[in-house]
Amino acid sequence: MGRKKKKQSKPWCWYCNREFDDEKILIQHQKAKHFKCHICHKKLYTGPGLSIHCMQVHKETIDKVPNSLPNRSNVDIEIYGMEGIPAADLKEHERQKQNSKGESSDEDEPASKRPKPEGLLGNAPPGIPVAMPQMNQMMPQMISHGMPPGMHHMMHTMGHMGGPPFMHHPGMPHMMPPHMMMQGQPGPPKPLFPSAVPSSSPGAAIVGADFKPISSGATISAPPTTNTPGGNVDLSKINTIAATGASSKILHPIEDVSLEEIRARHPKYSKGSWQKNDERGSSSSSAHASELSIAVSAAQQAAVANQQQVAAIQAKAQEAQHQHMAMMGRMAAAASAAHAFPVRVSAGHPLTVVAGAPVMAGPSMGMLRGPLIGGPLMRPPHLGMPPGMIQMPPGMMYGHPMFPAGPMIMQPRFR
Amino acid sequence: MMKSQSEYKLKSPPDDSISSVKFGPNTNQFLLVSSWDSYVRLYDVSSNSLRHKYAHDNAVLDCCFTDAVHSYSGGLDHTLKSFDFNTTTETIIGTHTNAIKCVEYCSELNCILTGSWDQHVKIWDPRSSGASGSYNQSEKIYSMNTCGEKLLVATAGRKVFVWDIRNMAYALQKRETSLKYQTRAIRAFPNKLGFVLSSIEGRVAVEYLDTNPDVQKKKYAFKCHRLKEDGLEKIFPVNAISFHPIHNTFSTGGSDGYVNIWDGFNKKRLCQFHQYHTSVTSLSFSHNGSVLAIGCSYFLEEDNPPHPLPEDAIYIRSVTDQESKPKYTSS
Repeated sequence: MGRKKKKQSKPWCWYCNREFDDEKILIQHQKAKHFKCHICHKKLYTGPGLSIHCMQVHKETIDKVPNSLPNRSNVDIEIYGMEGIPAADLKEHERQKQNSKGESSDEDEPASKRPKPEGLLGNAPPGIPVAMPQMNQMMPQMISHGMPPGMHHMMHTMGHMGGPPFMHHPGMPHMMPPHMMMQGQPGPPKPLFPSAVPSSSPGAAIVGADFKPISSGATISAPPTTNTPGGNVDLSKINTIAATGASSKILHPIEDVSLEEIRARHPKYSKGSWQKNDERGSSSSSAHASELSIAVSAAQQAAVANQQQVAAIQAKAQEAQHQHMAMMGRMAAAASAAHAFPVRVSAGHPLTVVAGAPVMAGPSMGMLRGPLIGGPLMRPPHLGMPPGMIQMPPGMMYGHPMFPAGPMIMQPRFR
Repeated sequence: MMKSQSEYKLKSPPDDSISSVKFGPNTNQFLLVSSWDSYVRLYDVSSNSLRHKYAHDNAVLDCCFTDAVHSYSGGLDHTLKSFDFNTTTETIIGTHTNAIKCVEYCSELNCILTGSWDQHVKIWDPRSSGASGSYNQSEKIYSMNTCGEKLLVATAGRKVFVWDIRNMAYALQKRETSLKYQTRAIRAFPNKLGFVLSSIEGRVAVEYLDTNPDVQKKKYAFKCHRLKEDGLEKIFPVNAISFHPIHNTFSTGGSDGYVNIWDGFNKKRLCQFHQYHTSVTSLSFSHNGSVLAIGCSYFLEEDNPPHPLPEDAIYIRSVTDQESKPKYTSS
């Protein structure tokens, strides 16, 4: 398990063809050599990042990535370590390496290790094969935007694992050892991002899941169960939520039902006790209401006749409230008769409803109206500052309006 | 408590957790709020006042407007109710055999759709009584959204169904979600190209309805709503999604108390608000996207709940274009 790396080629820098032992070092190299701003020496993350930085901060355009080979100086290609390298170049590099090294590097793989990935291929989420060809196109975007950090980790994993040999075979997706993505790698990536590993499966499994018969759903949960040997909780227990690893925790009850269902089990929400416990002042109002409903049923017609007028003219008057209430009670009663449902309406709720409204809706909120005059819910912004930022605590992700490329998004990726 | 001045808290909040906040169809003014305290409340957010409330027999799990003065709601009492705010009359429309988790309105077809833990979707015509149809989804329904004349149904077991409401004889699509964990919410892009789905495991997926492989290739998922504390990464459920009706960007709210706004097409986070005092359970952009309602309630995510429980609160926040508009369009 610990020897995954030997089969793949070493990480190499697309800009200068130099090889590295570790992709982390490669990234350091790229930041120092190729992505460093020549004016302020800030280290950026990608070529386009550097270009945008120079454009926006220094008002200078950069047409070449510094220290790059002549044919690799494109500032528009987003490359981060091994991610984002054009497939053709990957392939070419691989071929050159094979030629120079001979086959020896291929053959020293212990045969006993090989069957495992292949044996697991049958369980691979069907999405993976389809997902692979898209990688090259998705990666650069994600790298620069950095929004899905999980994908980034996944790519790390792939870089170490399947890396170049797989990447350049979009037509041969099954080369991708799916268990390697699913399961934490024993190699370097594992301790770093154990929780990130599952991210690969969602991302990859998306494609191809369409139109899949529901009954086949069981198969897709198969790959995660390969986690078990890796020490993760067995997902095959449908009713529990899979643990994510030692360094992360899902803040959700372990049972795999919705929070609402769990909450609904609380005795408070069992129907009988609910009514008794919760009604604020229901005893008095319900007595009041039942009196009223008796009266109303006696003089129902009259009430109906008056209802509309009174309501329209003085909706907030006490008289109107009572009649509202009466009407509601009557309507609900009718409805309950029609549908044969138990209805609680006549037991006082209408009263609380109507009585509550005018009190709450009164002009007592005047103090809040002030700021609202200028526009809908918005104070005039302070100078040069969006209103939302006025008291934004420092250190919030929010504050890089100058970078449309979104450094604020990159941030979580690199923390 | 320090709050930015573009934001304020609604007065007279519900007395129990907030299950859903929904803005009215054509106004920034009226907000419908359903709560576990068994009430549905109508707030006038302009004057910060409670206008009306009406009761169910048990916790209310979802509500929606059909027009400015009519609401529909359902919950643990299995019952779909409508309320007319002009006449303050309530009507029982019908029932499911288990709790109603979702209430949606399809304005294109003028019908109300309910999704229940009894595994069925029912369609209701406001002009007639009784359900006009009941459709088995084979799993408990956790979240629903209409997308034009289509209905998106997210259920337990990580399934997503796409229905054509005009022809419910068969599901247009049956999908497994691209996320590994239980679905919390599903919402359709206003441009109807696809939808966004969130899970309990701090992750959000962007998917497309067009089944063309080239289109499907564009779908992706990303992590969010996670906090790192002392080397332990806390992963929070993403409870709420609301789309900006104009920009096709969307906000997500998590049990970490954060609200983020994302540009799903360009894969960017546009902004993150300050951390709210407890879980964000529901979000709603107003019709023009200038205001975002944020429902905050503690939702028993942890084994050892804090004591006392955080208060339930609804924040009304004005949202600028800077916070909600894509920085540039994808090339």
